[in-house]
Amino acid sequence: MSSSQFLSEFLITLISLALFLTVVGAFKRVLLWLQGQPSTLHWRGLFKIPQRYLVDLHHVVARDKYMSNTHVATAGGFVLSAILVVLVYVFQVQSTIVSWALLGSSSLMFVGSVFVMLRRRNPPPNLSLGKWQRLPKSLMSFSLSFFVATLPAVGILPIDTGGWLLALVLVAGIIWGIGEMFFGMTWGGPMKHAFAGALHLGLHRRQERFGGGQSTGLKAIDLDAKKLGVEKPIDFKWNQLLSFDACVECGRCENNCPAFAAGQPLNPKKLIQDMVIGMAGGDDAKFAGSPYPGIKVGTHKGGAIIPIVNTLVESDTLWSCTTCRACVDACPMMIEHVDAIVDMRRFQTLEKGQTPGKGNEILDNLSATDNPNGFAPSTRMNWAADQNLPVFGENNLTEADVLLWVGDAAFDMRNQRTLRAIIKLLRAADINFAVLGEAECDSGDVARRLGDEATFVRLAKANIAAMSNYQFNAIVTADPHAFHCLKNEYGDFGGNYEVHHHTGFFADLVSSNKLKLDSSKELSLTYHDPCYLGRYNGEYDAPRYLLESMGIKIKEMERSKNTARCCGGGGGAPITDIPGKQRIPDMRMADVTETSAEIVAVACPQCNLMLEGVVEPRPEVKDIAELMLDALIEDAVGGDS
Amino acid sequence: MSDNKLSVISLVSIGQHPSSGRARRAEQDGRAVELGLKLAGDNLSVLHAGEQPEHVSKQTALRSYLGMGLSELTLLEMSSDADAALVIAEHLTDHNNDIILTGVRSESGESSGMLPYLLAEKLGLAMVTSVADILSVDKTNNRAEVLQALPRGQRRKLTVELPFIASVDMAATVGRQSAFGPAKRGDITALESANIDDVQAQSWQVSTAKKRPKRLKIVKAKTAADRFKAATAKASGGGGKVVHGVEESAQAIFDLLVEERMI
Amino acid sequence: MSELFRRDPRAQWIARNRLHPLHQALSVGPVYGPSGLLRKNLHIIGFIGPNGLKRIDRSGASGGMDGGSRRSATAASAVVLPLHQIAEPAFYVLVVLDLVSGRLNGHDKDTLGLAQQLANRDSGGGAVVAVAFGELKDQSLDTAGVDRLIHLQGNAYQDYNPEQRCDDLKHIVEQLKPQQILLPDSINGGGDLGRRLAVKIGERPACGVWKLNDDSIVCRASAGLRDITKPLTKLMLVMEECYEPVSETRHESIGLEKSTLSLVNNKLSDHGKISVDPNAIPLAEAGFILSGGNGISDWPQFHHAASVLGATEGASRVAVDDGNMPRERQVGATGTWVTAQVYIAVGISGAIQHMQGIGQCDKVVAINTDEGCDMVKRADLSAIGDSSEILTRLVEMVEQRQQQNNEGVVNE
Repeated sequence: MSSSQFLSEFLITLISLALFLTVVGAFKRVLLWLQGQPSTLHWRGLFKIPQRYLVDLHHVVARDKYMSNTHVATAGGFVLSAILVVLVYVFQVQSTIVSWALLGSSSLMFVGSVFVMLRRRNPPPNLSLGKWQRLPKSLMSFSLSFFVATLPAVGILPIDTGGWLLALVLVAGIIWGIGEMFFGMTWGGPMKHAFAGALHLGLHRRQERFGGGQSTGLKAIDLDAKKLGVEKPIDFKWNQLLSFDACVECGRCENNCPAFAAGQPLNPKKLIQDMVIGMAGGDDAKFAGSPYPGIKVGTHKGGAIIPIVNTLVESDTLWSCTTCRACVDACPMMIEHVDAIVDMRRFQTLEKGQTPGKGNEILDNLSATDNPNGFAPSTRMNWAADQNLPVFGENNLTEADVLLWVGDAAFDMRNQRTLRAIIKLLRAADINFAVLGEAECDSGDVARRLGDEATFVRLAKANIAAMSNYQFNAIVTADPHAFHCLKNEYGDFGGNYEVHHHTGFFADLVSSNKLKLDSSKELSLTYHDPCYLGRYNGEYDAPRYLLESMGIKIKEMERSKNTARCCGGGGGAPITDIPGKQRIPDMRMADVTETSAEIVAVACPQCNLMLEGVVEPRPEVKDIAELMLDALIEDAVGGDS
Repeated sequence: MSDNKLSVISLVSIGQHPSSGRARRAEQDGRAVELGLKLAGDNLSVLHAGEQPEHVSKQTALRSYLGMGLSELTLLEMSSDADAALVIAEHLTDHNNDIILTGVRSESGESSGMLPYLLAEKLGLAMVTSVADILSVDKTNNRAEVLQALPRGQRRKLTVELPFIASVDMAATVGRQSAFGPAKRGDITALESANIDDVQAQSWQVSTAKKRPKRLKIVKAKTAADRFKAATAKASGGGGKVVHGVEESAQAIFDLLVEERMI
Repeated sequence: MSELFRRDPRAQWIARNRLHPLHQALSVGPVYGPSGLLRKNLHIIGFIGPNGLKRIDRSGASGGMDGGSRRSATAASAVVLPLHQIAEPAFYVLVVLDLVSGRLNGHDKDTLGLAQQLANRDSGGGAVVAVAFGELKDQSLDTAGVDRLIHLQGNAYQDYNPEQRCDDLKHIVEQLKPQQILLPDSINGGGDLGRRLAVKIGERPACGVWKLNDDSIVCRASAGLRDITKPLTKLMLVMEECYEPVSETRHESIGLEKSTLSLVNNKLSDHGKISVDPNAIPLAEAGFILSGGNGISDWPQFHHAASVLGATEGASRVAVDDGNMPRERQVGATGTWVTAQVYIAVGISGAIQHMQGIGQCDKVVAINTDEGCDMVKRADLSAIGDSSEILTRLVEMVEQRQQQNNEGVVNE
């Protein structure tokens, strides 16, 4: 038998065996995922995988051009090569064209893998080492081996070239390559991300995310269930467990996480990997990426039925999150980190009653007085004593064009200035608006992010019931947190409204000339995108339009729009107050001072308070409504209210 | 400190939030349960005397005690006209509890704070008020060491004979967070009680609390000028003395501290 | 010295001569000009305030700092109040005094005032009998409205022994058969004792009484949320400021004989006050706070100063955020609202949220290098200088005094 014959026959067996093991591994992995709770199987999504991969996923990966091009080469090359390898070496298809194609795809893959290797020479800290460092070599081994092995088939090299020596070398290379790329794909190697990732794209829990859509509202839970929230890995939904396996340990989430940058004990990448460890069992000693700041690697372990908190993940890790969604936005595998964190928080709060810091006080206040600071509910309208606001339910008022949602600013002196500005602007534009008055309760946002679904549901239902008595066309609010709840989360409880953030609403008014702004003033200004307006709801343009209509040239920060750094005020983070090395608002204010702007424009009361909490001297913080009021040109005749 | 043989019972009531008037876990009763959990752990009994809570908010408030980690709570059914002290005393007569814990006063009703005293008299127990902590319980010598709370954060140590009733002050460890899940799933066992009405209370008039007038300093002044000066005097410290220099500053602060009797 | 008026010719001559250099210093009382018109020198009134501007305080709250009118020197001597005598009391009103540190406090005096009202209204002719336990250092019982006094002394009464006192009161009540029994509803003993007595003598008390009408009283109920109007009760536990204290009359304060009282088997025994670490006192309750802020460079010295002074430590938001103090120590709108009697702010500039938190403090002391900061404007006493130097010197002074006290104790 010649070496080429041997090679050919050996490869049939080898590749078939590898494929068989791959399928076995796939089953095992699927069983791991099925340990989780039932959830809708979006099987139709499977057909959309290619489109979602090429469009949605590529969009995210392409933020790093180097990597996206490399990946196109490597992954594209691999997929083609895999198919062609099976055709040529298992099914013994003897076509020259196919062999040439295989040569082409494997060389493409080889080129890609060279770039991968270059990247891995001095890998940045967000990449994991360990088994990931061997990946470029495996890729090269696979592509090179098959390239060389196919050369005789197209006639470039004579058959039996190199004899037995070459054949054995190729066999070794192919075994390594196939071992990593096929076997490793379903048996927990780095290539697992391709298998799980592809399935995840199709079966994603939030199907509406794709095709330019948004799905950011947290999912409601059944409060009558035997266990609320996630205690053990098997309490996650099966498609959440699937999503954890899709993690490619790229660390983009880690790069964007404000808590991680501040030195708090949270690293979104490690968190997802810990979830994998929990699902599959084991300990985190082999984790080769950046650890949680302050927590040593190798000190935690988990299993499918072992409670997560304090064994696998410390509770401080969960409570450091500000729910800013930077991780979710940056993740190329579309993993929903925030969902997982809030699910674990729900167990901590609803079942164990362990909300850290002032969480207990705030939640108690919400139960007792419908506002987080415990002010008497009857004082909710005190701030508006001089405003003569039309209130639904008073003087038989049941209808208005716009419902102005006041939010927690009613009790806060700094944000009342923003409210007053908004009221003046609304009156200048002759908008028929009204407020709910004392019937308005807190939107419930902070309760839900802290994991207290029960309080959130109570507040949501109370608000919806109050609003159901009146007729209005739209809700306008200055608070992006309330905006998010009213728009995306109240729907689960029967509240479906048309909701506008005040910047979006005013942008419409300005563009239709109902409000005129003076564009002559020159202000040195930058704009801070609120997380709950930007990443959660995709609104980046309206505030910028308003600022430009005032003649301002915005000195954009490097991290702006969807990569904007959180101010640290969301997710109950200032309440749970997990210590870190720095304060998140200080880091954001450093971003602002880097642009040498004198004013930072904000569009969220929380951002306002957090940024103003930075020690002076610092740039001034102003809400867009306040800036608009300064620039407002009021009609000379009967414009003033 | 969890002594399994120690029989501890905490008496709880449905509290009222001072601003909104909503039903809630009473603050002092929550501390009483917290102290009871420290002493007896899972063996703590919790008793509430009152009507079956009809309104959702009252149910939630009562169940919030269960959310502290208790599996069950006993509800001694009693009409709103009944005399709580006598009813509870009657129920506890043969229970042989070592320690009975209550709040200093309830947050609703007459809130006279008489309950623990009446119980102590009827059951022949010792009574300690305003307890901040129970340091140790010695069953063999029938004695317990108790820390009583005094104003401005001061503490007094007392020994008291077992069995006793302690009313728990706001200075005690605050009741732990109530978790929704266990609160929902805990059992409330209802028991019938003796029917003893509070006759006297029925003739009283109850109204919302009026703001008490602030006492004005009545200046017994002879001349109009003196009365005018006194009437327009600012309540705050006025003054606003500024001192420079290390020695003078330290001396001025020292004098102030001596005057205010801080040293 | 007697009160004879002595002429000082030189002083009088200076006072007559407006141009004399010492004229202003010696002029006493109003100065009249040659035509008989009153001469006022407007330039001498006022003082320099903390921000460097002249301030004139006409309210009299600063107590005549400018050396104003000396009329107080010739003020009338103490007015003698009329004596209220009762030879044969028609009935008794019993009042049990709290006597914190052996002296009457405001609550005791209010209770006595209410008792006098009950005794004397409608020409009742009753006598107020006060019961004092333990040490009695107060000499002003007669002006507080005590007609008769029962003073129970002894070593036992130095301690907290409510059961003994309750038994004593029971005997007194049996003996005197008072029409009314009043106790202050306070944490200083009255609240506890009153309720024990109520149960002992089988009288349902009225607690939290704050107003007396003709034959009804108003009590606070539901932890301060409700008012209950009920008929006048025999045993009443009264709140502070329930009535005006006695101020128009003097009383006899005749001591009554105590019948032999029985010793009770106390189930409670007092083991004395425990020295409480000031830092263990919750910030909201603490009476003396030393608070550190951005201006502190030497934190170990700050902690040392706090422990020597016996003060509870507090901090501003900046100090907590920088990691120098834990979050529970933060004073301010988002931290703890404090009600201390003395609040010393070291190196704190006085951001608005911090000032909100210290609004209830009696005396605020600021140590800062910046004279114009908000904290200095608010403070009752501001020390401008280097905080570590001032603290060092202050600590030295306190340690000196403590040493003196210790020696003094030994010498006694």
